[in-house]
Amino acid sequence: MTTQVPDESLLAGLGAGDADLAAAFVRRFQGLVFGVALTVLGDTGAAEDIAQLAFERAWRYAPAFDPRRGSVRGWLTTITHNLAVDAIRASKSSLMEPADLTEVLVEISDTPEAQAIAGDRASSLRRALRRLPPEQARAVAMAGIYGMTAREIAVAEEIPLGTAKTRIRYGMHKLRVALVPDDVGDE
Amino acid sequence: MSELNGETGGIDRVDCAQLADMAAELALGVLTGRERAAALAHLDGCPACSEYVRELTVTGEELLGLLPPHEPPAGFESRVLERLGLPVPGGDPQGREAEAKTGGARVLRLRRGGTQPASGRRQGRRLASARTLAAAAIVGAVLAGGLGGWGLHAATSPQPASQYAGAMLRTATLLTAGHAAAGEIFLHDATPRWMYADVDLDNAKTTTVLCQLETSDGKVTTVGSFRVTDGYGSWGGPWTSSAKVTGARLVTPGGTVLASATF
Repeated sequence: MTTQVPDESLLAGLGAGDADLAAAFVRRFQGLVFGVALTVLGDTGAAEDIAQLAFERAWRYAPAFDPRRGSVRGWLTTITHNLAVDAIRASKSSLMEPADLTEVLVEISDTPEAQAIAGDRASSLRRALRRLPPEQARAVAMAGIYGMTAREIAVAEEIPLGTAKTRIRYGMHKLRVALVPDDVGDE
Repeated sequence: MSELNGETGGIDRVDCAQLADMAAELALGVLTGRERAAALAHLDGCPACSEYVRELTVTGEELLGLLPPHEPPAGFESRVLERLGLPVPGGDPQGREAEAKTGGARVLRLRRGGTQPASGRRQGRRLASARTLAAAAIVGAVLAGGLGGWGLHAATSPQPASQYAGAMLRTATLLTAGHAAAGEIFLHDATPRWMYADVDLDNAKTTTVLCQLETSDGKVTTVGSFRVTDGYGSWGGPWTSSAKVTGARLVTPGGTVLASATF
């Protein structure tokens, strides 16, 4: 069954030009890739362009993928995100709409019952996001999802640059601690 | 903490406490300029901080993993496979129907690490040798005048092409989504690093285009912009990257890819 083939095998098949495995790879990850692109870009056409380009990158660099350094899902997500942020910067469009940010924050911090599995890292991260002070959650989302620099966040939030940096730092530190429970942190 | 102002300061050395202040921004890829350079220099010799940044990077990646999936428009799968030059297993009626409606406008066939299919090329309206000479002239302009963005018509140095030919000068044909040749890219991969784009688009539009480089780490960097008038335009400028340049592309300010090239 195609659905039982490991991600790494599908990626290897994509890289080797196996049409069946390549199709299965695209089918498995197209929702993820298009979702990331659409969130960042906010435009269906542009998101499809970036999503196609992301799969092309995966195909091109599949031989260089190292499973010891992370998952296929994370690798592909990062490729897509980098492409989307680069594209929106190249277009000189607004990096983020305030309403979109609010919606995204709700989506990534909400924990549907079906996903609330004890010990699940995604659930831990969602819980940690909900616990963040809203201004820190916004700063983390602006930097981590929309690729905004601290200076751009400072302008968008009408706060000093140092405050924007501090919000990113504290927010990310708390999220990291949620994923690395042994680290008690210092904030 | 020492000042790391990208406009007024040099690349200072940072200690572990200072690195901790900027680690999150570095991990999220939003640290720029001298701050980024200083942070990376510190990480080179500090395994503990490297591990801290790695954990933050993983956190950032998992944050992206929380984004909700969203199914792309019908026919996406087959358009991707077509773009890669792969057959669509078992057909994809929905996708083929969608492609028929769009004329496959978003599809661009590619070959990894090789040249584009010869059948998809068309002759440019200018000779390649003339482009090479113009590119060589650009080198002379760069060497004589320093590294800034420049336009073709500002380059008048009569340096011979042969002086700059060889492995350091890489060339690639720009191709549109319809496989039509749309100019050439010259990339000088030695100090001083420079590139030159000669564009010849059939659509004869007048617009501003952005020139972007794709690198082996998966990043796309905008290196400059220039005006294309009635389909013609050219531009050259410096580029920097720690990763190998694998391709180049021209995009509109709206983000639409007009042409791309693979080195």
